[in-house]
Amino acid sequence: MGPAPTGQQLRGATGGPEVIEPSFEGTGKKGKKPSSRKRGVTESQAENLLQPVKLSKAELYKEPTNEELNRLRETEILFHSSLLRLQVEELLKEVRLSEKKKDRIDAFLLEVNHRIKRVPSTPESELTDQAWLPAGIRVPFHQVPYTVKGSFHFLPPAQVTVVGSYLLGTCIRPDITVDMALTMPREILQDKDLLNQRYFRKRALYLAHLAHHLAQDPLFGSVRFSYTNGCHMKPSLLLRPHGKDERLVTVRLHPCPPSDFFRPCRLLPTKNNVRSAWYRGQSPPEDGKPDPPTPHYNTWVLQDTALGSHVQLLSNVLGSAPGLKDGVALLKVWLRQRELDKGLGGFSGFLISMLVAFLVSTRKIHTTMSGYQVLRSVLQFLATTDLTVNGISLCLSSDPSLPALADFHQAFPVVFLDPSGRLNLCADVTASTYHQVQHEARLSMTLLDSKTDDGFQLLLMTPKPMIRAFDHVLHLRPLSRLQAACHQLKLWPELQDNGGDYISASLGPLTTLLEKGLGSRLQLLAHSRPPVPEWDINQDPPKHKDSGTLTLGLLLQPEGLTTVLELGPEADQPEAVEFRQFWGSRSELRRFQDGAIREAVVWEAASLCQKRLIPHKVVTHLLALHADIPDNCVHYVGGFLDALLQGLKETSSTGEEALAVAICYYDDLSRMLWGLEGLPLTVSAVQGAHPVLRYTEVFPPTPVQPACSFYEQLRERASLLPRLDKPCPAYVEPISMVCHLEGSGQWPQEAEAIRRVRAAFQLRLAELLRQQHGLLCRATATHTDVLKDGFVFRIRVAYQREPQILKEVRSPQGMISLRDTPESLRLERDTRHLPLLTSALHGLQQQHPAFSGVARLAKRWVRAQLLGEGFSDESLDLVAAALFLHPEPFTPPSSPQVGFLRFLSLVSTFDWKNNPLIVNLNNELTAEEQVEIRSSFLAARTRLPVMVIITPQDRKSSVWTQDGPSAQILQQLVILAAKALPVLEKQLMDPWGPGDIRTVFRPPLDMYDVLIHLYARHIPRHRQAVDSPAASFCRGLLNKPGPSSLMPVLGYDPPQLYLAQLRAAFGDLALFFYDQHGGEVIGVLWKPTSFQPQPFKASSTKGHMVVSQSGELVLLPNIEAILEDFAVMGEGLVQAVEARSERWTV
Amino acid sequence: METRSRAEPQFPASPAFPVGKMVARRRKRVAGDLEAGVPSPPGYYAIPIKFSAKQRASHYLYVREHRVREGTQSAWPQKRTLFVLNVPPYCNEECLTRLLSPCGTVQSVELQEKPDLAESAKEPKSKFFHPTPIPGFQVAYVVFQKPSGVSAALTLKGPLLVSTESHPVKSGIHKWISDYADSVTDPEALRVEVDTFMEAYDQKIAAEEEKAKEEEGVPDEEGWVKVTRRGRRPVLPRTEAASLRVLEKEKRKRARKELLNFYAWQHRETKMEHLAQLRKKFEEDKQRIELMRAQRKFRPY
Repeated sequence: MGPAPTGQQLRGATGGPEVIEPSFEGTGKKGKKPSSRKRGVTESQAENLLQPVKLSKAELYKEPTNEELNRLRETEILFHSSLLRLQVEELLKEVRLSEKKKDRIDAFLLEVNHRIKRVPSTPESELTDQAWLPAGIRVPFHQVPYTVKGSFHFLPPAQVTVVGSYLLGTCIRPDITVDMALTMPREILQDKDLLNQRYFRKRALYLAHLAHHLAQDPLFGSVRFSYTNGCHMKPSLLLRPHGKDERLVTVRLHPCPPSDFFRPCRLLPTKNNVRSAWYRGQSPPEDGKPDPPTPHYNTWVLQDTALGSHVQLLSNVLGSAPGLKDGVALLKVWLRQRELDKGLGGFSGFLISMLVAFLVSTRKIHTTMSGYQVLRSVLQFLATTDLTVNGISLCLSSDPSLPALADFHQAFPVVFLDPSGRLNLCADVTASTYHQVQHEARLSMTLLDSKTDDGFQLLLMTPKPMIRAFDHVLHLRPLSRLQAACHQLKLWPELQDNGGDYISASLGPLTTLLEKGLGSRLQLLAHSRPPVPEWDINQDPPKHKDSGTLTLGLLLQPEGLTTVLELGPEADQPEAVEFRQFWGSRSELRRFQDGAIREAVVWEAASLCQKRLIPHKVVTHLLALHADIPDNCVHYVGGFLDALLQGLKETSSTGEEALAVAICYYDDLSRMLWGLEGLPLTVSAVQGAHPVLRYTEVFPPTPVQPACSFYEQLRERASLLPRLDKPCPAYVEPISMVCHLEGSGQWPQEAEAIRRVRAAFQLRLAELLRQQHGLLCRATATHTDVLKDGFVFRIRVAYQREPQILKEVRSPQGMISLRDTPESLRLERDTRHLPLLTSALHGLQQQHPAFSGVARLAKRWVRAQLLGEGFSDESLDLVAAALFLHPEPFTPPSSPQVGFLRFLSLVSTFDWKNNPLIVNLNNELTAEEQVEIRSSFLAARTRLPVMVIITPQDRKSSVWTQDGPSAQILQQLVILAAKALPVLEKQLMDPWGPGDIRTVFRPPLDMYDVLIHLYARHIPRHRQAVDSPAASFCRGLLNKPGPSSLMPVLGYDPPQLYLAQLRAAFGDLALFFYDQHGGEVIGVLWKPTSFQPQPFKASSTKGHMVVSQSGELVLLPNIEAILEDFAVMGEGLVQAVEARSERWTV
Repeated sequence: METRSRAEPQFPASPAFPVGKMVARRRKRVAGDLEAGVPSPPGYYAIPIKFSAKQRASHYLYVREHRVREGTQSAWPQKRTLFVLNVPPYCNEECLTRLLSPCGTVQSVELQEKPDLAESAKEPKSKFFHPTPIPGFQVAYVVFQKPSGVSAALTLKGPLLVSTESHPVKSGIHKWISDYADSVTDPEALRVEVDTFMEAYDQKIAAEEEKAKEEEGVPDEEGWVKVTRRGRRPVLPRTEAASLRVLEKEKRKRARKELLNFYAWQHRETKMEHLAQLRKKFEEDKQRIELMRAQRKFRPY
């Protein structure tokens, strides 16, 4: 910012450092996300707006060429739509390697090949004698137990071949890796190398020597170790080029034995190759029990021997079929977005390529298919085939010496055999991972089949991180605890098989345990795969316990969450013992109403929020009981955000129950209205029109019982008034409802007269309710307030035809036409749209119990960011509803936490400028209608508000966003959401606790020009603040409810009254921001445009003063007087007016 | 009329100037203005106005005699009316009367949102059905009994004080509490208002109906007879919706008679139409893709 005198002029041109500011200078269109800075700043914003396409007639109807027809036909046959085809093509362009880069990589590979061949050989020595290794190099292997027989010497590899996706042309950016297989010469290996990890240790030593020599070569920028697919028995060496190409490519070296060195029959899943005697250091088994089979160990050896043949197979299948290659690339992107491809037991790109090869061999995929079709077929296959039960095999031979599929099912959870029939490609994939893949495939298939959504975007471009995909997440830490768990679960054979990797060994049994325990509450359980570490060659390989944390994601079943009972078998049945064992001390004998005596587990949970957290109890109980993992090692992330919805005193509920109580009283009252006798016209409908009645009021109302001494009493009107000498009384917001009266010829046909008749009805209603039900009522011209059991309801009488009468315009010819007027629109919104929306969302809550929590958290957050005034209550509710009605690519959220994260993600990524948010309530809109809505949206874009939300009841105008937000406010919300999302996700994914969960709810205050601090004494909702005050004022309420003869003070909220005055007086000059839930500060932002000196005009003097600038008289805002006005108008409420920037200085 | 661009070059761009100093300079300038007389736009006279003596800075009322061009109608009497701009929100009619009465007896004060020549020709609106909106800065037309009041007002020195010890004006909490008390309506008064209005309305409607009945079937001077809905044979109401409905019906009738896919050219045309649709869709999609590419939406990482 320049010096003060020029500040004002500069401001218009450059914009200050404030976040919100740049958008003020825009032309009213939404600004771009910061990520788009690559595009020129000068680019006009209009270019980001989709324009309706205009093609000349000649262009539309010219003769088609053959080529064009072919392309159109191809699109129709091979793809969903032309848009999808274009999208897929663009995506492939983005992830494919360019030819230029390929050339550079090829050159690098050639160099690598030469260098490897030149590595000198070493003299022979014992395996345990590693003194020959140079000092700076550590063996990339956990040599436990250390003693092992055999000898080793280094010889340059017999053969160096490139294998894997780079060769096949299916590798995708980023992180291009090229796999190189180094065939170790036979001379290095010995006969019995298969036994007791000898082969793997040789492999590691081989790499260590290589690493030492290659690290001295200036060609390489970095030489590091890593694990192949996360398998800690098989280190690999990573080479990256030096200089600017460092990020270009990573070459991974895999030593492997000559393909026929090991006898395949020794490596069957039933065979043992790690002797217990050696592994556990015991003397030979005393009881003569055979050593347990080591299927995983065997598989890892087999994988090394089969590298070449697999590449051969894949290049045969994919080689000449570009469609298949596209398909594999798409599938890889699909897996990567779901975080399924990484780590030990991930569904890697290699696996998916083999699956494509399998489907080609079974003729489910044809080589002429397009990439999209391949993607579809594979997903279809995955969705419908359960490899955990029915394994598949690429092996065509019917050799009887080959093991049966059943053998593999015994040893592995998921079975997919390679062409040799001996190697299970899915050996490391756990059942949960496979089920997750299946679940994702199923979701994706339904998405592809539905025509309404942009499948491409949701399928391939939307990341699904665990914290956003799963309702609850739990972290197990420290990982070393799992070692004890392995012992408790008696997993010694598995440990032996996995070479001491207690995480992989215990993962399967643990997930099975939890799945069984969570039962009907659980839809899907997924676990994170430990990340693949990388380390320097002079360091020891990372220990198992250092590989981060184990994170489990729970996808909950909303129906299962409602029960607190785990019903077991009848007491006298044999299963009862098993049940008792499983649940331990929690299992009790209970007698049920039907007379049965059963084993059962009952969890204490009264409220919905406690019921939602029963899985937490189940998990900690079972882990402690069966796996010896105490509850302080389980960090359960599911209910941290609940605190923001809980009242100060009430910590056991998130308010759904309180809302249900209010709704119950509402039902009572509406029944009374139906049955009212003596009304001249009958009631035709009673409808709710308040957030309470659709479960989305952030803080549910509580029954009020005013302490009369606290108030001024207005006896003759049976009302209480606030008193000057007391703090502001409790805020009571009446719950509004609409009461429709039947149509009749008696209704007058003139707006003013209808108003009077309605008022008469309001009076009459009050009178009748008082007479017939003894309720305290107070009528005004537009509504009747009714006090019922401590809740105040506001009944508005409505007449169906009134909006229409307001709309009628009579032309000079006497023709009556209907034209919308602001008044008619408002009336229609309040008496027609609002009740419909309220009932639709009330219904949604019945289907999805988490809706209330999500909507209220979302609203709470928006308001806490001081942006609440810009967004109508209903618009935010609808955005929250969209998360449930259109969850793709996720499933509808079952916990407020995940729903809120998705709310942030939706708000920050949705392209509000080019898309309407369609909220298909009750599924009333068909796919065709939605397409039509989208196209008419484009045509009418400029006339629509910045944020467009379409519902079946409101297909054109977006009623709830008509009055805001403005482009700037929406932009600000988008920015804030984009910032809050990663912060919150990081907090929740932190295994050691979220820290302060309220961080993202605190608004940034540094962007405001003026802060108006308020006295807490006059903020009635002070206790609702994000950081709830330790002490607040008495608000004139009694603790125990009872009958009251005086109407409490309704809707009296001094900060809101103050804001209304400020906006009326200074709305042209500034924006005012405030958190209605107990905010203590009002943020004021001057509008830059109003600080331009303006020529004098009688209509624009408001709050301005005339100043002479170089002899000319101009108008400028009279800032000093205005700042004093802030204090004057809020006398008693305003504590201080803090002017923070001097930007307004002239 | 001066413009912004002309005003700009006045400021020397001196980046080294400390901000604090500038503020100080500004303060001094304001003080200097007060000594030299407040600048006021041509034709207007500026009177400083403050809420109370406690405030340091003041707003300025810009006043002049109310004048209109020859021949323009104005509801306010010429010569006797003072036109006031920039009346602060806390200054109401009563208060303005009090502030200006030293210049002469004030006959009436009218506060408006923006300058408007025609006096709002309205009967007093019902306070039940038309609540007064929250005021912002307003303009006022002050009618004095004598023209001398206007000239006296044009020499007022000020600063005027809206709220004084003898005549306090409520603001903040005081005001909101009294506003709340006012908003609690008296149901009896409301009932009376409704009843009187409806009585008048019923009479008006009855009179209209009476008149319509008299005119029923009676030809006017040119011999035309007005046909209404209330007649013996009711006719279609003359609304836009009704006429649209009729048109729509006609159109459908015609469409039913038409043959499609009968002639070869029709066949050809449908095919061409289909192709054109596809082309249009394709163009649209291309545009979408272009946009997405611009937004870098094809990076799956």
